[in-house]
Amino acid sequence: MTQIAQIGDGGGGNGRRRGPAEDDPLGHDDPLLQAIEALADAPPERSLWPGIESRMARRPGAARSFTFTLPQLAMAATLTIAVSAGVSWLAMRPAPATPEAAIRAVAEPTDAVQGDVQRATFADAAYDAAVADLEQVLQEGRDTLDPQTVMVLERNLAAIDEAIRQSRAALDADPANTYLNSHLADARRRKLELLRQAALLSNAGEM
Amino acid sequence: MTVDDVVLAANGDAAAFERVYHAHVPRVHGLARRMAGPEAADELTQDVFVRAWQKLGTFRGESSFGTWLHRLAVNVIVERFRTLGVARDRFLPDGEAVLDIAPAAPRSRPDLGMDLQVAIERLPPGARTIFVLHDVEGYRHEEIATMLGVSAGTSKSQLHRARQALRQTLNADRPQMGRGRATDGPQMGRR
Repeated sequence: MTQIAQIGDGGGGNGRRRGPAEDDPLGHDDPLLQAIEALADAPPERSLWPGIESRMARRPGAARSFTFTLPQLAMAATLTIAVSAGVSWLAMRPAPATPEAAIRAVAEPTDAVQGDVQRATFADAAYDAAVADLEQVLQEGRDTLDPQTVMVLERNLAAIDEAIRQSRAALDADPANTYLNSHLADARRRKLELLRQAALLSNAGEM
Repeated sequence: MTVDDVVLAANGDAAAFERVYHAHVPRVHGLARRMAGPEAADELTQDVFVRAWQKLGTFRGESSFGTWLHRLAVNVIVERFRTLGVARDRFLPDGEAVLDIAPAAPRSRPDLGMDLQVAIERLPPGARTIFVLHDVEGYRHEEIATMLGVSAGTSKSQLHRARQALRQTLNADRPQMGRGRATDGPQMGRR
């Protein structure tokens, strides 16, 4: 009987040496060594596969095709909040009473500005329908997603919704603000894209 | 299970991964049971295979799949110990002389491996982990120290006392087996 038994890789072996490491061996006649060599591996008493299968939310191949990772999603949410807060602050603060501002106000009548810059509606029926459809897909597939993934997705969606809400509030005070309009459009685009990614993830989990 | 099953599983084939699971689950479950005890073995085994599924894309075939899976399993189990914040607390103080392990009732079953399995499960958790890693799985003290975040000296002393306790237990169970022949420590004439 050898002190170190080589386990093959087939039939459930692990290819690693089994038995005491060479830096602190047991004697050949040590009964403890004989007992170690007699240890047997048996399968668990109940099948563990169903529990494993239910947690295999993502296929490795499919997972690699996604462009968002959880840290990236988290960072995107943080960035969205920061940008939203910054833009809102810029938009809501009182305009500086500088000579340049006064000159610009005279040179660019308010009516002209409002006529040229359309408030970013993006709130058309097609957009709302797309968001509703994706939210439905995500809701139906949320059980197939890892709870941590769901948590991050929901946190990011909440952050984007907050950015949209702040943009709208700021636009109510300054409807012609091009920064706010583009920010609102960008936030809504981000929401649509995040929902698309989430729906893809949940679809992959169901495969 | 074939090597192809690992390749198929790495490409997202769940059926192939199920075959991989069936081929390797006795080994992984045995490791989890010895390291963490029977009450945690099922859940840890599931954790290992879920992690393996998620990480299969990183398996490059530089070692055998069994070796890769085994190392991953050890990492998952040790990580669990760390998560629970019990890794260091599981080890007995070095000055403690005797492991408090009551001998099991004598059994007639002539199964040396099963006797040892039962005895291992009655070891204090820290000593059990080190004994399994070193004497069953073949990890060196330095590797164990790195994995568990303890010193190599702690690994050696815990192993020494785990061996003593196991011999006591085995001898109590089997009075006829090897009494007086066991050796441990460099001063006791190991080969």
